[in-house]
Amino acid sequence: MLQAVRKLLDNKETITDVLSPFPVHGLDETLSIKRSRIPVGGFIFGALGAILAFGFQAWVFTVSYPLIIGGKPFFSIPTFIPITFEVTVLFAGLSMVTAFLIRSRLKPDISFKPLDERITDDRFVILVDTADKELTLNRVKSLLSGIHTLEIR
Amino acid sequence: MDEQFDFKKKYRNILIILMTGGILVSLAVILISKPGASRIWANVLLNNQYFIGLSLGAAFFLAVHRVAQSGWHTLLQRLPDAMTTFLPVAFILMLLIYFGIHNLYSWTDKNLSDKVIEGKRAWLNIPFFFARLVFYFAGWIALTSMIRKNSNTLMTSSDLKYHNRKILFSGLFLVFYGITVSASSWDWIMSLDAHWYSTLFGWYVLIGMFVTSLAFITLLIWFLKRLGYLKYIRPDHIHDMAILIFAFSIFWTYQWYAQYELIWYGHLPEETSYYITRLHHFKIIFFINLGINFSVPFFGLITINSKRQIGWVAIIAAIVLMGHWIDYWLMIMPATAGDKAGIGVLEVCMTLFYASLFIFIVLRSLSTGPLVIKNDPYIEESLNYES
Repeated sequence: MLQAVRKLLDNKETITDVLSPFPVHGLDETLSIKRSRIPVGGFIFGALGAILAFGFQAWVFTVSYPLIIGGKPFFSIPTFIPITFEVTVLFAGLSMVTAFLIRSRLKPDISFKPLDERITDDRFVILVDTADKELTLNRVKSLLSGIHTLEIR
Repeated sequence: MDEQFDFKKKYRNILIILMTGGILVSLAVILISKPGASRIWANVLLNNQYFIGLSLGAAFFLAVHRVAQSGWHTLLQRLPDAMTTFLPVAFILMLLIYFGIHNLYSWTDKNLSDKVIEGKRAWLNIPFFFARLVFYFAGWIALTSMIRKNSNTLMTSSDLKYHNRKILFSGLFLVFYGITVSASSWDWIMSLDAHWYSTLFGWYVLIGMFVTSLAFITLLIWFLKRLGYLKYIRPDHIHDMAILIFAFSIFWTYQWYAQYELIWYGHLPEETSYYITRLHHFKIIFFINLGINFSVPFFGLITINSKRQIGWVAIIAAIVLMGHWIDYWLMIMPATAGDKAGIGVLEVCMTLFYASLFIFIVLRSLSTGPLVIKNDPYIEESLNYES
């Protein structure tokens, strides 16, 4: 797989996408794909969640509805920590999923017919961009002749 | 692959000078300023506990990876292995506690009329205390040296028998360690406040030990790489060490918080006494402890790039090492030295002595063989590791 990708790239073919049933080490670097920025979003939303949860509890327990629980002070940080933590995780997790769905343009009623049913199962696929179909097909065929390929079309 | 660490005379001399300097200055401080017997013995106990923790944490690191049959750590497995060679020395140093036991543990007093301690006599008595101490060390030393021997045999032999035996002993070590580390932390630290108890304490100490040894292994990698060894240890391996430091620092904070919050919520006098002495008399150190051990690794190692720079990870590791020394300080000092507790020249010099002794033993043990065990079946996996 990696061998085929390298050979195609060396010969100035444009690869639009590579599909594989499991992550392949070194593929991202070979295709020079930039690292995802989703963790940054996750961190920002996590921090937002932490501030919101802490602020909300502080407001509820001191201003809006002060209750004496176990003789503790109204503003007692240790009790706020578990909820702050949970809301941080919730915000970070949900925001990352949402960001991923938006960025990959996945929405509920999406319909898509795959090129070949086997792509979704256990086959490795390299999609090559074509301007002239016949010409590229021949070129790719000759390039990949030394490498075990199942089908080129 | 056959490179061997050369423990140069220069380093030997520096370490010996630091060792003698540390012990001489400590003696001078003891003679001049008379800090009180309990503070001196508390220092001995503190450093014993800290450096035993470094050795045991390293053994735990190896045992976990070997039982899980992980491949990535194979290239650096001799570093934690060398750290476990400190245990026999630690045994002798721990036996020294015998001479200061009355200064450290209030329960050793025979004429004590205290209902609570009377009830704990079955566990807390001097003969049983030392019997347990010998038992812990016998198990630790025997198991770690068996693991080390079988692992080092793979330098010359390529028989898989030794590899499998190493895994077997690692499994046995994990079981033994899991029980004894809790029991030893009750004995050596928790019984300082003989009335106080926390069921989480053993776990809390274990995680602290593990974080310190991870930090020390990272510093050792950094040191050896600076000298030009360990060329094959790439950012991918550093990345994993940093992930472990990051994760277990957070887990340490979780343990800290779980222990604190339950005691704070329950508000039982015999439990809160532990935090009241620490929070009221040593407020600054109390919050420094939490700040250093959580915030520094959390914010310092949160991005991928920061985890892959050995220099940066080494800085964080050094701070974490100091932070956990303060953590042990907070467990031990306020209970023993009381109002006289502080971080002064005595503490620094005693730690300097122990640290240089520890590093001397680790480096000497490292220099006895090649840095990589080349017949280990996982060596290829570790060389091509990508995190």
